[in-house]
Amino acid sequence: MSAGRDIATIARWEGKKSFSMLSRDVLPIAVILFVLLIIVTGFAAQSGLHIQDGMYRIGVDNPQVAALFASDARFTVYESDAASLTANRGAYDLIIVNGQAYASPTDKGKSALNTLERDYTKYVNGVYTGENDLFAAYPLWIDAQTVKSELNFTAPGNGQFVPAPSVRGPPVPQGPVENVPTPSPTLGVTKDELRQELVTLSSQNTQVSRYTDVLSPQQSAMGTFVTPDQLSPPLPFDSIILVFVFIFPLYFTSQFFMMSIMNERIERKGEVLLSLPVKTSSIIIGKMLPYFLSMLAICAAITIYIRASPLILLPLIPIIFFFLANALIIGMLARSFKELSFISIFFSTVATSYLFFPSIFANVHVISLISPLTLIVLTLQGTAWTAADFVYSTALFWLTGAVLFYIAARNFNEERLFSEKKFLPRMREFLAGIIQYRHPYASLFLLAAFSIPFVFMAQMMGLVLFFNLPMPLSLVLLLILAAFIEEAAKAAGIYTLFMQHPEFFSWKHLAGACAATAIGFLVGEKFLLFATLAEITESVFGSVLFSSLGVLWMPLLLHFACILMVASSLKVWGRKALVPGLLAATALHCCYNLYLILGWLR
Amino acid sequence: MKARHITIIAKKEFRGLYSEKTILLAVLLQLFIALFSSFLMVGLTSMYDPTSLSKYSHFRYDIAYAGNESPLLGDLENSQDFRVHRMDLSTAVELLKERRLAAVVYAPGTLPDADEPVKLTLYTLADDLQGAVVDVKLKDVFLKYEEDLRESRAGRLDITPLSVLIPTSSGSTSFFEFVYGLLIPLLVFMPGIISAALIIDLITEEYQHETLETLVSTPVTFAEMVWGKVLACVLLVPLQAGAWIILLAANGIAIENPVLIVLHVTLASFLLILIGAMVALHYRERTAAQFVFSTALVVILLLVLALPDNPLNLIARLSVGTAGVEQWIVLGAVMLAVSALGYVMQKYAGRAGRDLHAG
Repeated sequence: MSAGRDIATIARWEGKKSFSMLSRDVLPIAVILFVLLIIVTGFAAQSGLHIQDGMYRIGVDNPQVAALFASDARFTVYESDAASLTANRGAYDLIIVNGQAYASPTDKGKSALNTLERDYTKYVNGVYTGENDLFAAYPLWIDAQTVKSELNFTAPGNGQFVPAPSVRGPPVPQGPVENVPTPSPTLGVTKDELRQELVTLSSQNTQVSRYTDVLSPQQSAMGTFVTPDQLSPPLPFDSIILVFVFIFPLYFTSQFFMMSIMNERIERKGEVLLSLPVKTSSIIIGKMLPYFLSMLAICAAITIYIRASPLILLPLIPIIFFFLANALIIGMLARSFKELSFISIFFSTVATSYLFFPSIFANVHVISLISPLTLIVLTLQGTAWTAADFVYSTALFWLTGAVLFYIAARNFNEERLFSEKKFLPRMREFLAGIIQYRHPYASLFLLAAFSIPFVFMAQMMGLVLFFNLPMPLSLVLLLILAAFIEEAAKAAGIYTLFMQHPEFFSWKHLAGACAATAIGFLVGEKFLLFATLAEITESVFGSVLFSSLGVLWMPLLLHFACILMVASSLKVWGRKALVPGLLAATALHCCYNLYLILGWLR
Repeated sequence: MKARHITIIAKKEFRGLYSEKTILLAVLLQLFIALFSSFLMVGLTSMYDPTSLSKYSHFRYDIAYAGNESPLLGDLENSQDFRVHRMDLSTAVELLKERRLAAVVYAPGTLPDADEPVKLTLYTLADDLQGAVVDVKLKDVFLKYEEDLRESRAGRLDITPLSVLIPTSSGSTSFFEFVYGLLIPLLVFMPGIISAALIIDLITEEYQHETLETLVSTPVTFAEMVWGKVLACVLLVPLQAGAWIILLAANGIAIENPVLIVLHVTLASFLLILIGAMVALHYRERTAAQFVFSTALVVILLLVLALPDNPLNLIARLSVGTAGVEQWIVLGAVMLAVSALGYVMQKYAGRAGRDLHAG
């Protein structure tokens, strides 16, 4: 049989197995739950979500004003006369006496005031929209134009925002000046069209429309014209809706794959599968295929439903691939159901944050491109992205996914699947599965080189985490974290080999192993950096993460020295010395990076 | 039903969790999200609320003013946030492209009391963090200018809105509602959801690993075994929820009524755990049970959120100290529901246990 036919057969089995199990027991309930979900969604849409109800207590002396704010469920409105309100000020977060609002000087009071102000502006706008002379009520219109400019990432100090020049007097342009036509003083839109648009805008539930607008951006009739009140930068949390719409179904489906792998391991059920005269890679691909296709189908269905461009599917494919690779590894590693749950919840949270947080900055910062979700945001907005952007934001997903699949395929055998060892030893065993004892140096070299995508992913995560802390703090934390991640990744191979074959580590072999790891790490780093991450590496943050780029022998020496520290401490003091060794290596690495950056800043 | 048997089972489950060490992942997760919540506070608020940004740096942005004289020029020059340069439009836009200016404002020659509106043109950088911050700062100036223009056209207005004078607020507060009205209720409830998923794992594991025979051959009855597992899961909730509250407090988010919040969360989670246990007893298989439970969970959560005075709302209110008597009514209702569901589960587990002995 050819591999293709094997895969197709196994995929059919797998599809049949999981579908028949689901259809027999679960389908009727699932249908009922789905109907209930639709009913409940309708109910929720009508009654609204009551999570912030009654957060603030406000006291009002005027019944008309009280009625105005009582419509906002966040306020519990108490009516009383001015004297008693003033006397009991402490009982309220905010009081309105004789048409003047006074907030209590707490965070909550200020927040209540903010909410009040927003409600009041909405009310006033509503009143003004009904004015006969619309341009007396709305005398100022702003034509908001945006100008494209490439973010100059190589300038020092960039990372948070571009500092404007601090020279005295007006700046003078360096480049040639293009003629910008003088804007016409008239709007070019009729009064009635504007009024119509204002009415629709004010009647919209902004809490909901914000999110639906992310999925299907609407062109307003007013074009780029806004009133000062409508002038607002993009809100940061809006792309979370994409996580709910696209990523959660994927995560959900990958759970079935995870469980299917786990089920093979319970009571050695998978022995039959393993005894088939089929390559392990065919088994894995065959088992994965139905889930891959159904995840793709779900994404396609969602894309069609929200009428988005099919281009959206492109950045989703590496995400699917990455999720499935992780599901496979988790399914193979977990010893019990609860372990499976915890690991998968942990993984999904981490992966979701990695995807979501950069995309907050989709329109704001180039750093956002490290998440494929940003490409989805851009596609939905109708902004074009290039093939280079695609490679840039998805390369890490492809690479880590591929490496995980390779590790899984090497370990998909009886010994590993049915072993009852603890979690960390199992991880070590998995790594040992891809280390060839006959070629230790080559194995260590490859292992170090292939750990790079994971290192980058972890470091990117750190970048996302620390990116917005105040400047010196974010750099210091990133510095330490980046060094630690690199050292841990480098130590993984040596530690594994040490645990399996401690006798191998004579001082000569130890030096050789360290050299192999250091070279492998450097080669992998160089290779991936030049391929994809040029944009980030040129910023200050990049120089912290990847400072070992300049000359070749310096970083090599650094990598060698650090891993040597870890390996020697392992040899001298045994396995307990791993953590102290790592910390010492991290400290050395930090000093080196700090030296480079300080020199660089000077 | 013997209490001793139940505690034995609960202890056994705790030992299992402890020896697997995977509970550490849950703790790690908490720390991870807590780190993000500080990211949210420092990062996002400084980006989108210029007043909090000014806490870190007091920066005057260079902007250009082009076109005709207007009172707006004076407003901009008086503002603490900008350094205004007058220049012609083309030069200004080129400087903006070179990122040497933060924004360009063009004003037409329309008179303040003209019939036509005043149409400003505002040029800012696309895809730029600074552009977003400058937008917010400019908005304040524009709003003031709009107010002045309205003033000079006031004679033409025929409806006057009710007047409420609102003092300009100081300090960053825009995240208060997000943190207390969303983040805290969801985070504090997360342990409940995790525990409900855990009870499914614990029960289906006994079925799928075929360890039930050994268990029921001991003096422990089937129902006692299920209750022991439920107890273990319920006890985890206050531990984790309490950890959340402490972590948030360490992040500078003070929470009022922590004990009451933990009480509410534990009871509401008890309900979820009982539902999870019954789903697991019915399906006896993890994939199906988890699937049905998580779908049902979405339905339940959505329904609960759509009801006024729901437990999540009460937690938001308790955390800011504005909960009233209604919290005791809700607490009582949840307690009633727990006892009712507990009774049903007792019966159900009894039947499942008899099936087991018969089969």
